[in-house]
Amino acid sequence: MSEKREEMQNPVVEINGVNKSYGHHQVLYDIDLTVDRGETVCVIGPSGSGKSTLLRCINFLEEIDAGQIWVNDTLIGYRVANGRLHEMREREACKQRVDIGMVFQHFNLFPHMTALQNITLSPVLNKGVPKAEARAHGLELLERVGLKGRENHYPSQLSGGQQQRVAIARALAMKPFLMLFDEPTSALDPELVGEVLSVMRDLAKSGSMTLIVVTHEIGFAREVGDRVVFMDEGRVVEIGPPEKLLDSPKEERTKAFLSAVL
Amino acid sequence: MTNVSITDAKDVREQIDPDAAVVPVRHWGRLLLSVVVALLVLQVFWSFATNPFIHWEVVASFLLAPTILKGLLATLEISVIAVVLSTVIAVVVAVMRMSKSVVLSTVAFGYVFVFRGIPLIVLLILVGNIGLFMKQVSLGIPFTDITFFSAPTNRIFTPFVASIIGLSLCASAYMSEIVRGGLLSIGRGQYQAAMALGMDGRQTLRYILLPQAMRVIVPPMGNEFITTIKMSALVAVIAGGDLLTVAQSISGVNYRTIEMLFVATFWYLAVVAASSIIQHFVERFTAEK
Ligand SMILES: Nc1ncnc2c1ncn2[C@@H]1O[C@H](COP(=O)(O)OP(=O)(O)OP(=O)(O)O)[C@@H](O)[C@H]1O
Ligand SMILES: [Mg+2]
Repeated sequence: MSEKREEMQNPVVEINGVNKSYGHHQVLYDIDLTVDRGETVCVIGPSGSGKSTLLRCINFLEEIDAGQIWVNDTLIGYRVANGRLHEMREREACKQRVDIGMVFQHFNLFPHMTALQNITLSPVLNKGVPKAEARAHGLELLERVGLKGRENHYPSQLSGGQQQRVAIARALAMKPFLMLFDEPTSALDPELVGEVLSVMRDLAKSGSMTLIVVTHEIGFAREVGDRVVFMDEGRVVEIGPPEKLLDSPKEERTKAFLSAVL
Repeated sequence: MTNVSITDAKDVREQIDPDAAVVPVRHWGRLLLSVVVALLVLQVFWSFATNPFIHWEVVASFLLAPTILKGLLATLEISVIAVVLSTVIAVVVAVMRMSKSVVLSTVAFGYVFVFRGIPLIVLLILVGNIGLFMKQVSLGIPFTDITFFSAPTNRIFTPFVASIIGLSLCASAYMSEIVRGGLLSIGRGQYQAAMALGMDGRQTLRYILLPQAMRVIVPPMGNEFITTIKMSALVAVIAGGDLLTVAQSISGVNYRTIEMLFVATFWYLAVVAASSIIQHFVERFTAEK
């Protein structure tokens, strides 16, 4: 009972004072953000504001220069021993990423593998799932994203929207507790955006998954987001519930951005 | 001319016989050139066939001679082993070259620079005569007395082994650049997707990068294989026991130098033709999807 309460109180993602530079070019300044279990947080902001970089830091695709990122109460990218931080070995970092799903703007499916092979590769390699089981789960996931019967198609034989749904299924196959989406619909033709958003909507509504979604779809953020984060020039400018942040933003920069995109 | 009236155009349309075949354009110049070229080629063949200094019956009698076939087998062995060995080395050197460790990438750079820079014939002579300046080959921990294995150089570096090593050093340097190009042709997104799925560097290389790089790598690699087969003739300078070596040693006895060269030529062309056919099918296989 008490353990459960504790779990409820502890956020899934806790970002404290994160700074990040590429060479001399600082892209993230003192980022603070917490995301609770089952929550869907949408991140909006102009191009180059550091949204993708922030997502990549959360699963340690990028190293950070200062600050800490905690996911499920474990520090990302570092081990704590004797009160000191130790850089992680590659194998340990890989273990952490196994439980965090990521979906990219350009899908990044493996073009030499079928849809099903894309989905089953990592569960078999890195979670020790038996091949037959991975296959069955893969087919289930394909059905869930509306792609029943497409398991033997190669990415080049699928439309953009279908590819992105395979990519979502691929991430889900690892049974992550956290999913990161980096502008999953902005490379899609307008008529294909809906099918991908609807898969994501189902995921968010299922309640068991925590989602961080970088998006330009203000409508999606309004409908599905529990909270919306506005970033600009490497800083979190404003955080709030969608209706508040989108309809009556406090900050001037948020207002300016919203009036430009809406 | 430019002012065709409507009635004229109508006349022309009605004149067209829909059943008549289209009259093709005659390329008279092309035809003439073809005849000239064909005549020239015939002339070349004819002069070879009737040349009183070439005894074709000698060529024919040696084509399937056991010594020649043994040399052919040696050429095939040297080429195949060298090609396999250099492919493995090429992948290792290419991955080292892309390593974050400055030492590893510099060593890989140096390897490519040195072995691409030395003319193959010089390299072969050097490796073939390695016994002149290295009496013992030993494997151990550097700067200590610990050795796991040691043997006289001449016992290990037979001409056959030296040929394979010389060819491999040269071919792997070229091939590693091909492999590196193939690996570089794969976008950052693929690395990121693999990493995000919890795959480590080794898994990413094996399951994601190399299979995709294959498509870019295979065509130039096929050419590199064929080049290596032809280059293997150079091992004759260290008496590698290959086709050319035996052909030349036979002509040293029977003085049929030209005939023996034709015998070797025939087999080289046959091997290259066979390799080209294999290359064609491998390319078609990897180009699918
Ligand atoms: N690998 C990299 N090396 C150097 N600079 C980078 C790299 N990745 C991103 N940047 C820089 O970091 C800044 C933030 O980039 P980021 O991709 O995070 O922005 P973003 O908010 O996702 O923009 P967009 O909406 O265009 O995707 C940009 O100025 C970009 O040029
Ligand atoms: Mg981005």
